[in-house]
Amino acid sequence: MIFGKKHTDQLAEELEQTSGDQRYWALVKQRFRKNRPAVWALRTLYVLGFIAIFGDFIANERPIYCKVEGTTYFPVFREFLVDLDLAKPYPRFLTRSWLDVKKEYEAVLLPLIPYSFDTQDPDNRNYKGPLEEQEVSSWRYRHWLGTDNLGRDVAAGLVNGTRTAMLVGIIAMGIAALIGISLGAIAGYFGDDRLRWSRARVMLNVLGVVLGIFYGFTVRTYALQESEHLFVDLLISLGIFGAILVLFNGLAWLLERWSVAGKKLRVPVDLLVMRAIEIKRSIPTLLLLLAILALISRPNIFYVMAIIGLLGWTSIARFMRAEMLRIRALDYMEATRALGYSNRRILFRHAIPNGLTPVLVTIAFGIAGAILTEASLSFIGIGMPPDQVTWGTMLFAARFAPYAWWLAIFPGFFIFITVLSFNLIGEGLTEAIHARR
Amino acid sequence: MLRYLIKRLFLFLPTLLVISLLAFGLSRCTPGDPIQCYLPDNIDGQFAMSPAQYERAYSREAKKLGWDKPAFYFRLGPAAYPDTLYRILIRGQRKNLENLIAQYGNWPQIQAYSRQLIKTHQEISQLPDSLNSDALIRIRNLPGQLHLRHNDRAITSLLDTLQYYTAQDARVNRNIGPSVQELVQRYDNIKATATPHLLYLPGFHWYGFDNQYHDWLGNFVSGDLGRSCKDGRPIFDKITDHLQWTLIINGLAILIAYLLSIPIGVYAAFYRDSRFDRITTMVLFLLYSLPSFWVATMLVIFLTNPTYGMDWFPATGLGNMGSMASFWDRFWDTAWHIVLPVFSLAYGALAFISRQMRASVLEVISSDYIRTARAKGLPENKIIWKHAFRNALFPLITLFASVFPLLIAGSVVIERIFNIPGMGLLLINSINSKDWQVVYAILMMAAVVTILGILIADVLYAVVDPRVKFGKQKK
Repeated sequence: MIFGKKHTDQLAEELEQTSGDQRYWALVKQRFRKNRPAVWALRTLYVLGFIAIFGDFIANERPIYCKVEGTTYFPVFREFLVDLDLAKPYPRFLTRSWLDVKKEYEAVLLPLIPYSFDTQDPDNRNYKGPLEEQEVSSWRYRHWLGTDNLGRDVAAGLVNGTRTAMLVGIIAMGIAALIGISLGAIAGYFGDDRLRWSRARVMLNVLGVVLGIFYGFTVRTYALQESEHLFVDLLISLGIFGAILVLFNGLAWLLERWSVAGKKLRVPVDLLVMRAIEIKRSIPTLLLLLAILALISRPNIFYVMAIIGLLGWTSIARFMRAEMLRIRALDYMEATRALGYSNRRILFRHAIPNGLTPVLVTIAFGIAGAILTEASLSFIGIGMPPDQVTWGTMLFAARFAPYAWWLAIFPGFFIFITVLSFNLIGEGLTEAIHARR
Repeated sequence: MLRYLIKRLFLFLPTLLVISLLAFGLSRCTPGDPIQCYLPDNIDGQFAMSPAQYERAYSREAKKLGWDKPAFYFRLGPAAYPDTLYRILIRGQRKNLENLIAQYGNWPQIQAYSRQLIKTHQEISQLPDSLNSDALIRIRNLPGQLHLRHNDRAITSLLDTLQYYTAQDARVNRNIGPSVQELVQRYDNIKATATPHLLYLPGFHWYGFDNQYHDWLGNFVSGDLGRSCKDGRPIFDKITDHLQWTLIINGLAILIAYLLSIPIGVYAAFYRDSRFDRITTMVLFLLYSLPSFWVATMLVIFLTNPTYGMDWFPATGLGNMGSMASFWDRFWDTAWHIVLPVFSLAYGALAFISRQMRASVLEVISSDYIRTARAKGLPENKIIWKHAFRNALFPLITLFASVFPLLIAGSVVIERIFNIPGMGLLLINSINSKDWQVVYAILMMAAVVTILGILIADVLYAVVDPRVKFGKQKK
């Protein structure tokens, strides 16, 4: 990121030598494959992704298939349907814990770890280690990585933590990438003097933003506050905001014909974006996150993801901007302008797609950062629902029981491996993009 | 040089202003009532004092804190809201009125209802105790609850209960009956004359400079950040006490990281692809990905505990020798205590800086003047330290600007683990005890410290590389 300039220069040389998108990508891929650590990191991520997606089949107190008194059940699948409101839970198991049912199975297919992350095994409370003797009916029910004070299985917690970490990485970086790429691209492409708007458009946009916030959010404060589906209501608010901006820009298009309003002004987008990045850089992120999350009275893991994403766009924007500064000086950009293409078309069809590959590097590092941030937050315990089980909360629990080494080692190791993998991939991509000769 | 410095400083002013807006804005969104925290015996205050007493104590405290002023220079909101709403001091009541306005949009009627509610509340609390009937017990708390309800169904049901029990007891009815009737009527009136269209009309009002933000910023500049609601200490003293430890620990960590990473980076780059380079690159990469709070937790668990036979370091805190001990004893005790935290902070920075140092030296070595130096037949040592090193140093200075905020943030967790009374621990404790004034003062202070760090890096960079000063003028 800091050496973005260097990367981009070398990349420019490279681009001149290769022609065509196809060949460029093939080249990057080929170089990436030669990097053994990065390839291994990618494989590790496949495994972690698999665990995250199929976590319910790996660690679950419900059997995948079981036969009780001659009837066959598929409790894990049923649970999916129940979550989607498509079916009712099996009445037979409704009032009983799955740990009690286990003696009645006539035939059963258990998940790899026969515990959910929140299953409390009453026989193995108070930190049972992996090597200690455990109160289990058979080896199949053993807690291979130990339990915590409530008798929750550590391995099942790790599986749940994998899911949370992957979600955080993807959602937070998805939001950050969306904002970062668009703002960075606009700042880099237009700079301070290439975006020229008519007076009418400048004024109407300022007015539009103010009114958009007013009708989208201020007026709807009460609706948002009392909302049952906050996500839907937020989307409606954003929709209102967007609609007002579109309306005002349409109005500006009409007014521009009038000469007084049509006079062009320079919009210093680069300056604005760079100021925003500077402000973000001046506040230590974790402190800001804590200060914001502390305000939320009903913590939810998705708020954490959204806020990490909303605060994390700056590094991507910086990288994208540097990329755009390079691209806009290239010959083919001159050609697109000579052909009379509109700014929008040049930006979205020709400039941004070309600058995306290097941004992948920042995204890879960014995912590692987001996962680390989430882990730190759960470790501190602010902004997280108390019953959440993540790598960070498990690691935190280790502090209360120094002799329970398994609580410190395993979750930490998972964080380490995940962060390492994303970092290795980022490194591998960097090298693949500007291979040293 | 001076001109450059002044220019940089001026560029930071708007940044600080925006951050102050952010911190102030966040501090006004806190859940719960921030003034409540300042009231004596604040275990939900109301129970220890009568409502009137509570209200008086509350407004006294609110006035002292300046919360009786408008929040900002201007208000831009729906026209349905009155410009004078800030004069209702008790936050719960104000919020509730806002919620009522958000539903019906007719402030005069809502105000009439609210006034009648206060009147009824007073009348009920003034009923003589000799009237102590079942009905009185049931209605006694209803006005207090009505002050905090905005949902139509909740209000209607409370009003129904109030009416019902008032009618039950003839003597109670004689005293407050008309008042209750009036209250119900005024509430119905709100619903009957609702003007929701006013909610969609923007309204603007200029309050002038006598407002909370203006005072807050002014006080911040003059070093008065208010006082903590938990122990009454001035927040400024509290923060500087804690900041001291954060700076000591981070300063040591940065110093160690720089001192070690420079030789590592330079040698790794010079003997590129040697065994030393390959091993350090790999180790540094692993260190770089190693989460510091995991390492710190492991250190605390394995090295400060007799359980594993390695009780080598004190677990947490800074040691407690008392003022009786000699200076050097206390010094060594504290030093012993901060070994682990400084290590936990330093290794990550070390890995980061060494990698950058290596990359930067690699870039320098491939430049022409190094080839010239080699061609001249200079000894390798001289090439490294005299020619390459000095030029490779530049990026290290800018790196400081990005390492510094990272460390400040990272030390939040480290301070928590080792229980070191730094700014991070103060932040976490203040959040947990809902001492909001402290939380947002810390946010501001952290920003100021970070900006100073960045500023120092910028100025240093301009000192060593004169091109920077003039760089902007080329355009």
